Amino acid sequence: MGTTNKETFRPPAGTNHAARHRRLLCLGALLLLLLAGLLSLLVGKYPLSFHKALTGDGIHRQVLFTLRIPRALIGLLGGFALGAAGYVFQTVFCNPLAAPDMIGVSSGASAGAAFAILFLPASAAAVTVSAFAGGLLAVGIALGLASLAPGRNSGSIVLAGIAVHAIAQTLLMVLKLTADPDRQLASIEYWIMGSLNGITLDKIPFYCIVCILGLTGIFLLHRQILLLSVEEPEARMLGVPVGKMRLLVLLLATLVTASVISLTGVISFVGLLAPHIARLLTGSNCLSALLLSGLTGGLLLIGADVCARSVALAELPVSVFTSLLGAPFLLYLIMKKTGEY
Amino acid sequence: MKKLISILLTLTMLVTMTACGKNSAAPSGQGSGAENVSTEAPGTDKSTESPSSADSGETDLAVTYPVTVTDQLGREVTIQQKPEKLVSGYYISTSLLIALGLKDSLVGIEAKADSRDIYRLSAPQIISLPSVGTAKEFDLEGCAALEPDLVLLPAKLESVIPSLEELGITVIAVNPEDKNLLEEAVTLLGTATDTKARAQELLSFHDKQLEPLSEALLNTDAPSVYLAGNSTFLSAAGPKMYQDNLIRQAGGANVAAEITEDYWADISYEQLLAWDPDYIILAADAEYTTDSVLQDPNLQDCTAVKNRNVYQFPNAIEAWDSPVPSSILGSMWLASVLHPQEYDTENWKQAVTDYYETFYGFTPDTENLYKKAE
Repeated sequence: MGTTNKETFRPPAGTNHAARHRRLLCLGALLLLLLAGLLSLLVGKYPLSFHKALTGDGIHRQVLFTLRIPRALIGLLGGFALGAAGYVFQTVFCNPLAAPDMIGVSSGASAGAAFAILFLPASAAAVTVSAFAGGLLAVGIALGLASLAPGRNSGSIVLAGIAVHAIAQTLLMVLKLTADPDRQLASIEYWIMGSLNGITLDKIPFYCIVCILGLTGIFLLHRQILLLSVEEPEARMLGVPVGKMRLLVLLLATLVTASVISLTGVISFVGLLAPHIARLLTGSNCLSALLLSGLTGGLLLIGADVCARSVALAELPVSVFTSLLGAPFLLYLIMKKTGEY
Repeated sequence: MKKLISILLTLTMLVTMTACGKNSAAPSGQGSGAENVSTEAPGTDKSTESPSSADSGETDLAVTYPVTVTDQLGREVTIQQKPEKLVSGYYISTSLLIALGLKDSLVGIEAKADSRDIYRLSAPQIISLPSVGTAKEFDLEGCAALEPDLVLLPAKLESVIPSLEELGITVIAVNPEDKNLLEEAVTLLGTATDTKARAQELLSFHDKQLEPLSEALLNTDAPSVYLAGNSTFLSAAGPKMYQDNLIRQAGGANVAAEITEDYWADISYEQLLAWDPDYIILAADAEYTTDSVLQDPNLQDCTAVKNRNVYQFPNAIEAWDSPVPSSILGSMWLASVLHPQEYDTENWKQAVTDYYETFYGFTPDTENLYKKAE
């Protein structure tokens, strides 16, 4: 699969027609995403009246501004970030199975969250901070170890990532074993399942800023990211400091992933599915694919969250629906476009 | 003395009633002919026992070994002789054994026993007993090494039962997940360990308290109650849970009654604001505090928070909101919170003292019902 992938990295098909097609796709996805965002403002357990909220009725106002809008925002931004980060990982590693989880960010964040649930005074903020730190720490260690290895190729990053991932998983298991099965263990499991339920206005500003900064960096570096996917000597010839650039780009992608999942818990599949869907739709790997990865990710997450909060009376884990919505769509695209992929 | 007589009277009445219950249960044991061959003695024993029990309570309350019981996984278990060495792998069965006066027969208990205040108060010696593991990781060898006559396990640990039986150990599974199952478990353990009289007493305590409680609450309105779970404030007890019954007995209406989950259900802030309960009650073992709820910026418009009607179940002795025999005390406590005019706190304070003095042999401190902050 790697070789077919590289073929798509050749200079884009070049015709004006293809470029316009991609622009239209991105525009369409953006519109859909905005619509989904609006829909998610309308759906919820509280019988919200927008009129009352805007004319200053206390409780309606509160529900709209501290609960529903932040949740929709994280659905949009978080999904966008996960999709874009997935694109970065798959491109940098030239591997269709790569995802931010691969080098330890989610297992590190899970271990961090479990640590906070067990040992820090009970508060949602503590869990979020600890998960954020855990995710960054895991990836920091993995990248640090990889840079010690001779050769410094992307293979050693993957291997170091897998090792750190395994260690973080073990740590998580030890933490789970010491947890009280009735209370703490349940909290840890719920956290790992992932949900946008706990998101309130007071929790999100810092993580939103981190996420937006990271995304800005990724978009500014999109050319370099693409060059990292070609053979290393070639990239060097084109003037990219491969080793450093790879570290920087991976760190940025990790930063945005960690800022999202420390708020929501582990969300599966968005980072893996969104880039595939985007590449299948655009048929290329350029800026529009990065943008579309993000937009698809946002659509997936916000759609999944609308389902998670409305199909049952209780809140369901959002990952159930990201996979349920995303996987069939991916299969459909693969069936339709086997020749091109 | 008067009390003793009245207890005896209730007992005899109960015995006659349970005898009827038993008659209906007996055929299930005898109907399957295959088992009858292996457990002939207990089978015949039961049939001779039932008719005589009506005239004298004593014969029914004494257990003749070998005895066959049906445990709460529906398994037929024959116990050859009165068990002297007991192992309990579940805190509810351990607590029940203490109430049945069997704390000295215990040779092994579940892990994390040091976190149970009821053990510390009533049977401190059992905390240092060997641990046979948790509901997740049962220690088969460690359990076998204790050479128990009878092992009590939660239904969750069904998978280890065959291995234990291969080692020649008798196992009874309990599954006290709701009120009826809990009562069944009490009777089951009473029969298995020859402590039927005590088991009946334990059950009658519940009924004795329930009656005046329901009478006092007869003409009251039921305020809406949100019962928040142990792990997070946003988990609700649905209608199929033990806690739902507890709220109703206390004269309240469970706001989460429409939920269909069997277990704790995750809900959102929005859902809670939409329910807008009059009272928010925290589970006894909650990981968070009433203050954290009262100060939660997202809940300031909720009626319960506005009126500061946020309380936590007492937790210094036992979690009365879980399926333990003492859970009627939980209903009584909650009734005094929801209906302070009709139901005075003195009512349950007296009952708490009676209960723990009678069954657990210690005098509880009814003024300090909450764990001290660590």
